[in-house]
Amino acid sequence: MPRYAMLIDQRRCVGCMACIVACKNENKVPPGMYRTRVAETTAGIFPKLRMELRSELCNHCDHAPCVDACPTGASHKEADGSVQIDKSRCVGCKACMAACPYDARYVHPDGHVDKCSFCNHRTKVGKAPACVETCIGGSRIFGDLNDPNSEISRRLREHHVRVLLPEVGTKPKVFYINRFSTPGQEG
Amino acid sequence: MAVNRRDFLKLSATVAGGSMLAGGGIAGMLMAGDRGGAAATVHSVPTVCEMCFWKCGLIARVVNGRVVKLDGNPLHPQSRGKLCGRGQAGIGLLYDPDRLKRPFIRGGVRGDGRYRPASWNEALEITADKLKAISAKYGPESIALFSHGTSGDYFRSMVKGMGSPNITFPSFSQCVGARNVGYELTFGESPASSCERVDLTRSKVIVLIGTHLGENMHNTQVQDFAEAVANGARLIVVDPRFSTAAAKAHSWLPIRPGSDTALLLSWINVIISEGLYDKEYVARYTEGFAELAQTVREYTPAWAARETDLSESQIIETARQIGANSPNVCIHPGRHTSWYGNDTQRARAMAILTALLGSWGREGGIWLAPSAPLAKSPAPEFPEAARPDVIAGGYPFVGGEGLTNAVRDATISGNPYPIKAWIMVGTNLLHTLPDPRQTMAAIGKLDLLLAIDVMPTDSVMQADIILPESSYLERADDLFVVKQKEAGIAIRQPAVSPLHESKPGWWIARELMLRLGLEKFAQPANFEQKLKAKAEKWGINFAALTKNGYIPVRTTSGPYISESNQPVFGTKSGKIVLASAELREHGFDAVPRYEKVPQPETGQFRLLYGRSPLHTFSRTANNPQLNELVSENEVWINSAAASRLGIGHGAYVRLVNQDGVRSNRVRAKVTQRLRDECIYLVHGFGSTSPWLTKAHNKGVNDQQLITRYAVDPISGITGMRVNFVTIEKEA
Amino acid sequence: METTILGLNSATFPHLHIWDWRVALYLFLGGLTAGAMVMSSVANLRKDKSSLKEKACCVRLPLIAPLLLAVGMFFLFLDLENKKNMFWFYMTLQPLSPMSWGSWALLAVYPVMILFGLSVLPEEFYPRLPFAFLKRLAATLQPQMRRLAAANFVMGILLGVYTGVLLSSYVARPLWNSALLPVLFLISALSSGAALAIIMAKQDKAKLFFTKVDIWLLFAEIFVLVGLFYGHYSSTEAHREAIMPFFDISSQHFPYAISIILLSIVLPGAIVLKFLEVRVDHEGPIVGRAKTQMITSAALVLVGALIIRFAIVYAGQLSSLSRYTSIY
Repeated sequence: MPRYAMLIDQRRCVGCMACIVACKNENKVPPGMYRTRVAETTAGIFPKLRMELRSELCNHCDHAPCVDACPTGASHKEADGSVQIDKSRCVGCKACMAACPYDARYVHPDGHVDKCSFCNHRTKVGKAPACVETCIGGSRIFGDLNDPNSEISRRLREHHVRVLLPEVGTKPKVFYINRFSTPGQEG
Repeated sequence: MAVNRRDFLKLSATVAGGSMLAGGGIAGMLMAGDRGGAAATVHSVPTVCEMCFWKCGLIARVVNGRVVKLDGNPLHPQSRGKLCGRGQAGIGLLYDPDRLKRPFIRGGVRGDGRYRPASWNEALEITADKLKAISAKYGPESIALFSHGTSGDYFRSMVKGMGSPNITFPSFSQCVGARNVGYELTFGESPASSCERVDLTRSKVIVLIGTHLGENMHNTQVQDFAEAVANGARLIVVDPRFSTAAAKAHSWLPIRPGSDTALLLSWINVIISEGLYDKEYVARYTEGFAELAQTVREYTPAWAARETDLSESQIIETARQIGANSPNVCIHPGRHTSWYGNDTQRARAMAILTALLGSWGREGGIWLAPSAPLAKSPAPEFPEAARPDVIAGGYPFVGGEGLTNAVRDATISGNPYPIKAWIMVGTNLLHTLPDPRQTMAAIGKLDLLLAIDVMPTDSVMQADIILPESSYLERADDLFVVKQKEAGIAIRQPAVSPLHESKPGWWIARELMLRLGLEKFAQPANFEQKLKAKAEKWGINFAALTKNGYIPVRTTSGPYISESNQPVFGTKSGKIVLASAELREHGFDAVPRYEKVPQPETGQFRLLYGRSPLHTFSRTANNPQLNELVSENEVWINSAAASRLGIGHGAYVRLVNQDGVRSNRVRAKVTQRLRDECIYLVHGFGSTSPWLTKAHNKGVNDQQLITRYAVDPISGITGMRVNFVTIEKEA
Repeated sequence: METTILGLNSATFPHLHIWDWRVALYLFLGGLTAGAMVMSSVANLRKDKSSLKEKACCVRLPLIAPLLLAVGMFFLFLDLENKKNMFWFYMTLQPLSPMSWGSWALLAVYPVMILFGLSVLPEEFYPRLPFAFLKRLAATLQPQMRRLAAANFVMGILLGVYTGVLLSSYVARPLWNSALLPVLFLISALSSGAALAIIMAKQDKAKLFFTKVDIWLLFAEIFVLVGLFYGHYSSTEAHREAIMPFFDISSQHFPYAISIILLSIVLPGAIVLKFLEVRVDHEGPIVGRAKTQMITSAALVLVGALIIRFAIVYAGQLSSLSRYTSIY
C-alpha cells in the first residue's frame, strides 16, 4: 500500500501559478475557491532583498485535526495516507474548517466541505496529481514514502526539509526544501 | 554566400509560414468514431496551444463534446507534458460568454459600441466589396495587415495576393525587432527558432538583462531556468526591479534604466583586458576584434559604475564570473527589447559578448538551430506590388516583417501614399502600438478597419467589420515545424467544433479570397487533405501525427560546434561580425558605443512595464479563470518614494505622463522591489471595451501612458520605456 | 515584509469566517439551558425544605429548558451547509470529535430534562398537562425526583461544558484553544441559568437564593475571564495576537473593544445590584423598585452571557496560527 506525500522544492518554484489553474480544472473547483495557493513574500530593504515563493495545500496530515473533529466520519484518512472527504456523509458543520491550522478547506456550493484530494482519482491509476504534472519549475514532487527508491524518498534523504507548523503536531505530509536569502543555501 | 538581409528575412518568413493546412474535417474524423452512442464519450485530442505565442503541444480531454481539461503533451518538446497557467485556462477562453460569437457590422460611429449582427455571407460580401473598392481607388498597397499569431499567415496570403506589400507584425516592431536585427548583424541569424536557443540547463552562468523569466512565462524556457537554478547555475540578473528571476540570482544588479549598454561594454572591456574571452573561438570564427577592443577601451568599470549606479566591484566581479566560465555562459538575448530607441546596438553588444565568450554553438550558450531537411512547398506566385512598402528604404535593416509604426505614420500623413484599410488579425493595436492617440488618428483616416479576433478587445470595438475567429481549440492550422535542439512536426486539430458562429482563420481568409478572385492563394476547402499530403511529402505518418500530436524529424546538424558540425554564419564574410562594416556604411557605429538616455526629473518616474505569468498582453484579461486570480494590475512604487508622496500601500492613484495624459485610477503597490525613480505596471489591463465584462475598466492601460516613443534608427522599432509619469493621489 | 498570495479562499482569508450569529446564539441558548437545568436541580435538591410545595420550586424552569434548547438547536441546524445529511450525526459516534459527543448528548438531555421536569411538578399543575399519560408519568416520577434531579444536574454540567470543550479543541484557533474556555463557558452558563431562575422563580426566597448563587458565579466568571486573557498573553505569539482585537480601538476591531467595555460594566454592575439586593432586609415580598432591580441585574447577566458568546465566536475566528507574517 503506498503512503503518498508531496515535496515542494521552493528553489525551483517561479510563482507561475499554473498549479492553481490546473487543479481548478482537474477537480472542477468552483469559481472563487481554491485547493492550492501560492504565497510570494519579500523581505529586506532595497537593494538587499530576499524572496520566498511558497505554495500551500492540504497537508494530508498523519495526525489530522480535521479527521478528529469531524462528527460524522466524513473526513477520514485512507490507506494510502491521504485525507479524503466522503461527500455523502458531510453535514457541512464546518468543524473541520475550524480545526485545520492550514486553512486548506472551503465550503462547496453543493453544501459539503471540500479540499485537495491529492488527485486520488489520478493517483489510483498511476498518474501524478494535476498540480505536480503541470508544475513548470518542477518544484512539486509527489510519490510513495513506502518506496525507498521513489524520487520523493530519495530527495527527502538528500535534503534538509521542513513542514509547516511542525510544533502543532499534525505530522504533515507536504515537505518543503526551503529557499531564502542567498541561492545555494538551504533553510 | 552573400544574402541581403531583407531578402533573407523575407525568405525565412515564407518558409516558416509556407505550408498551410486546414483541419475542418479532422474534428469530424475524430468525433465520428464516438457517434456510436456510448453514454459518455471521452477522448483526447492532441493539439497546439495559442494562449500565448510559444505554441506548446497539449492534449485536450473532451467529455461529451466539452473540453474539461488541458494537459501538456509529453511528446512535444515545447511543453514536455506541462502547461502554464494560461495554457491550463484555455478552457476559460473557449467558454468565455464574452467571446465574439457572430460577425458584426458597425451601426453607429466608430467606437460607440453600436454593432448589428450579420450573417457570414453578408459580412464577407461587404468586406470584399470594401476591399475591392479601396484597392481600385487607392491601389492595393493602401491595404495594410497587422497580424499576430498563426491565423495571420492566411491573411498575409490574401494581402499579398491583392498586391500589397504592407504586412506588419507588432511582434517585430514593438518587441523582438531590435534583438533580431542586432544578432543578425552579428551572427547572420536571430538567436531564436521556435524559441530563444538558450541552453540554460547546461549553463554555468546565466545572465539576464531585463528578462524576467518566471513572470515572463515561456514554458520550456522557464522549465529550463528552474532546472538550471536547481543545478546551481550562477545567475546574474540585471534589472531595476527585484523580479522573480532576480530573487533567485546570486547577483542582482539593480541597474539604472537606460544604462544596460554601459554595463555590457564595460563587461566586454574587463573580459578583453583580463583575457577572459575564448581566444581560439574568437580567432577562428570572428572578425573585427581589434576594432572592438579599441572601442571598448574607454568603457572601464569605474566609468560604467557611474552610468549604471552599480558598484565598480560588482561590475568587475560579475564580468570575471562570466569570463571565467566561458564558453558555458548564457547571455540571454532577451525577447521584448524595444526599450529606449538605441536597442539594436544594445543587442549588438549582447551578441558581441556572446561571441567573445565563445558561447554561440556551445553547451550552456546558444545552441545551433537544427537543420531539418523538409521538402519545401513551392512559394505561391504572388503578384509584384506596384509600389514598395511604406518603409521603402527608410530602415534598411528591417526585412520581411514590416514596421507597424511606419504604416501608422503613412496612414496619418498620406505619405508616401495613403493607407486606407487596416486588417487586424489577433492583435489589439490600441494596447500594442505606442501613443494610442496616433492610432486613433490613423483609424480616423481609414475607409475600412477590419478585425478578425476571438475576443472583443478595445481595438476590435473600433472596427467597421468584426469577424469572429474560432479559438485554437476549435480549429486546425498549418503543420508546425518545431525547432528546439531537436526538430519535429506538430499538428493543431480541433478538440471541439467551433462554438457559436465562429470560424477558423483559414476559412475566413479563404472565403474572402474567393470573393476577391484570389482562390489560388487560399486554403483548399479540404484542409485536411492538404495537411495529409504535406505530412506525407515530409515522410510523416499522418495517422501517427494526429494521434500523437508531435512527430520528431531527423536533423542533419547538431546543436553544438564540433569538427564535424561547423557553424554557418549568414554574414557577408561568413564570420561573426564584431565590428560591422554594414552598419558603418549606413552611418551607424560599427561597434556599439554608449548613448545616454534622458532620465526622469525629480518627482517624475520612468514607466516600466512587464508581464504576469497568468496573462498574455491584453488577450487574457477577460478570461474567467485567469481574471479571478489577477483581475487588475497595480502600479509598483518604491517605498521611499511613496512615503515622500504620502501614498500608502493599496491606495488608489492616477498616473500623469509628460504629455499630460492621465490614466484611470490604479491601486498602488508600495514596495522595496524597485528603484525609486521607476514605477512598474503589468501590461494589458485598463480595457475600455464594455463587451469584455470582466476586464472592462479594471486596472490601468500602460500603453495609454506611452505617448512618447523613441524609434530605433537601425531596426525601426519603437522604444517604449521613455515615458515619465507623476503620481497623483486620489482625492 | 511584502506578501502577495494568490488562491485564497474567502472562507478562510483574511480570517476564518464559517460560524456566525446562529452559532453564537446556539451557544448562548445551550448554555442558558444548561444553567437552567443545574439551577433547577439545585433548587430542588436543597434539604432545608419540608413541604413539597416549598421544595418544588422553579417548576416552570425545567419545562422551559427543553424549549430553549430546541430553539438553540434550530439555529444550529440553520448553520449546517448540508442539512439533508443531518441524520449522519446519529449514525456514528466519532470518539475524538466533541461535536459528535455533543450531538448525542443533545439528544440525551431531552428525556432527562423532561422527566425531571415532570417529576418536580406539584400535583396542582397536573390538570394543565395536555395528555393523560403525562399525568400518570408525572405521578410515577415524583418519588424519583431526587435521582432525576441529580441526573439533570450532571447533564446540565455536561451541556454547559461541552460547547467550551468543542471550541477549545481547535488548536488552529488560538483564542479558543485554552483549558479555561470550557470553565468560562460553564460558569457563564450557570450564571445565566441562575439569572433566568431569578426572573422566573415565583418564590422570593428562591429569587434571593439564586441571587446569592449568582454573585459567586459572577465573581468566578470575571476571575476566569481575566485568567483566560492573561493565559493567552503569557502564551505563544499566536495566542497573544488572538486577544489583540479586544484591545484595539481601530474601526476594524471596534466591536471587540466595545464588548470588553460592556462586559466590564455589565458584570460588575450586576454584582453591585445583587449585593444591594441581599443587603436589604427583606421583610415581605420583593416588589416594586426592589423587584425591578433584581430583574435588571438578572437581565444584565443574560446580556453579559450573550456578549461573551458572540465575542468569543467571532474573535476566535480572527485568530489563527498565521504563517504569513514571517519569512522563513
